[in-house]
Amino acid sequence: MAAGSETKYSLQNEKNKKEQKKSKFRKKMIPYILVFPAVLFVIGVLGYAIIAGLLMSLFDIRLSFGDAPFVGLENYIYLFTDEIFLNSLFISLIFVFGSVVLGLALSLSFALSLYKCKRTGNFYKALALVPYLISGIATAIMFRFLFSGDVGLINLILKTVGLDAVNFLADPWWALLVCVLANVWFVCPFATLVLLSGIQSVDPELFDSAKIDGAHRIHILRKIILPLIAPMMGISLIWLSFASFNMFDVILPLTNGGPGRSTEVMALYMYNVAFGELQYSLGSAVMVIILFFNVVTSVIYLKIFNVNYAD
Amino acid sequence: MNVVMTGFFHNIRTWLSNRWYWIPLFVLLVWTILPLVWAVSASFKEATEVYQTPVSLLPESFNFDNYLRVFEYPNFWRYLFNSVFLAITTTVLSVFISILAGYAFARYAFKFRHILLVIILVPRIIPRASIIVPLFTGIAALGMLDSYFALILTYAATAIPLATWILAGFFKVIPKALEEAAAIDGAKPWQIIWHVVIPISLPAIITVSIFSLRESWNEFPFVLAFTSSQEMRTLPYQLFMLKDSMGMQDWPMVLAFTIVTILPLLILYIIFEKRVVNNILSGAVK
Repeated sequence: MAAGSETKYSLQNEKNKKEQKKSKFRKKMIPYILVFPAVLFVIGVLGYAIIAGLLMSLFDIRLSFGDAPFVGLENYIYLFTDEIFLNSLFISLIFVFGSVVLGLALSLSFALSLYKCKRTGNFYKALALVPYLISGIATAIMFRFLFSGDVGLINLILKTVGLDAVNFLADPWWALLVCVLANVWFVCPFATLVLLSGIQSVDPELFDSAKIDGAHRIHILRKIILPLIAPMMGISLIWLSFASFNMFDVILPLTNGGPGRSTEVMALYMYNVAFGELQYSLGSAVMVIILFFNVVTSVIYLKIFNVNYAD
Repeated sequence: MNVVMTGFFHNIRTWLSNRWYWIPLFVLLVWTILPLVWAVSASFKEATEVYQTPVSLLPESFNFDNYLRVFEYPNFWRYLFNSVFLAITTTVLSVFISILAGYAFARYAFKFRHILLVIILVPRIIPRASIIVPLFTGIAALGMLDSYFALILTYAATAIPLATWILAGFFKVIPKALEEAAAIDGAKPWQIIWHVVIPISLPAIITVSIFSLRESWNEFPFVLAFTSSQEMRTLPYQLFMLKDSMGMQDWPMVLAFTIVTILPLLILYIIFEKRVVNNILSGAVK
């Protein structure tokens, strides 16, 4: 009887242990279960896109899915000898440079003045973010209307002050400038908020003690604010140049790459090659080149501005 | 006279050195609202009125004809339904998935945590327009072109990285005490997430939801590349087509359509503005 109860006890003990082990295993699995769907989506869609794009760029895939010979780097060689692609690369570089310079100048001055303005600051802060909510298409249409040759406000103003109207979207350089303006309008708000959050995190006592020491305003900006918000500068520069390198939504409806090919940036070239000429491999190769530019620019910014992305 | 002039310049200089920030703010105001105001004003004008000179900001009479024409536009309600349906389904899906993942990254130490975090975060910097080509061939191979499935899948996948990041950052700073108390009472992890974590982090969840709504409401490259039939178009897509088919002659109607696509998000933003702005300022941009 006693022995019986003992075995029963030990059996139960064993069972408990097993259960404990099971529940311990379960506990260990919890974070993996929680993370699984997110990882599945991200790898399944975005990871797939990058790997498939890389592979596709090494083959010659056209309209047909069947016959696709391996061609190595031929697509890339073709691109870098293709005048139309080189043109789009050149346009992209000008477009990105213009957008980043203008975008940073605007967002930095907006951020500084938003920080300074305490009274109605909230209104302007809210206002500054409004273009961020508007689609690229809507932005493009509004800018097209603003700069159109016959009914555009800008031309009406020019005429009123006695200047000649300019057909902005028909002139290669003006059209590119309008693209840059629309793009900056579209991407600047986020950069402004990033910079503002950087300035707000600076200890205000630093400003006060600098003022007591008689430091000049420009001096405070250069010696205190800019170095302290360097990481935020890096992040907003990355944002500005990424968004610009891949800008598609704004330019397609605004100019469709025209006049001629004067505003055809790389993303537009890629779209035309892939969906106009059905050369999917060539399109993928352009994707790889665009991503390469993104990585290079972000590494440069991170190095310069010493951003620590880890935490 | 000279004294007056120097006094005048002196005044300007002191004003500039104390109130300089009004200049960028004025630029910000004009820069931000000029395209919008001009578009709104024209959307109330008659088709010929936009061609009149001298130009006036206010239309001769506010007529809503252009908006009525937008609502009567063939298939308009279908496009609106597509936009709303896609925005809501992808937001619910991506926010739900991101809450789970964000919670795991914020609260658990586990093997591969870092690698998995990098896997989720790095794609955040991949711009959507650049990956349409391989995604298109992939979706075509699945036979899923021109379907809601393709759009929901890709929209959600692009929204998850940022949402996970923001939520994980938010979960990290909420105090653990409540969760621990619930755990001692024997609550399961999902019960803790549902009853404790989600109610506390509602502000962050709202912010993330607005981000995700914005993304899918305004999305263009994917819907352009992955759909072909008219019934699948969303409002931005139709706006793009409108621009082509109308040859930009009927400006007031095109602009009324533009305003209609902007308005829903703007209203949502005005309701939640304080939260969204402050959340972005405090954590979203880390």
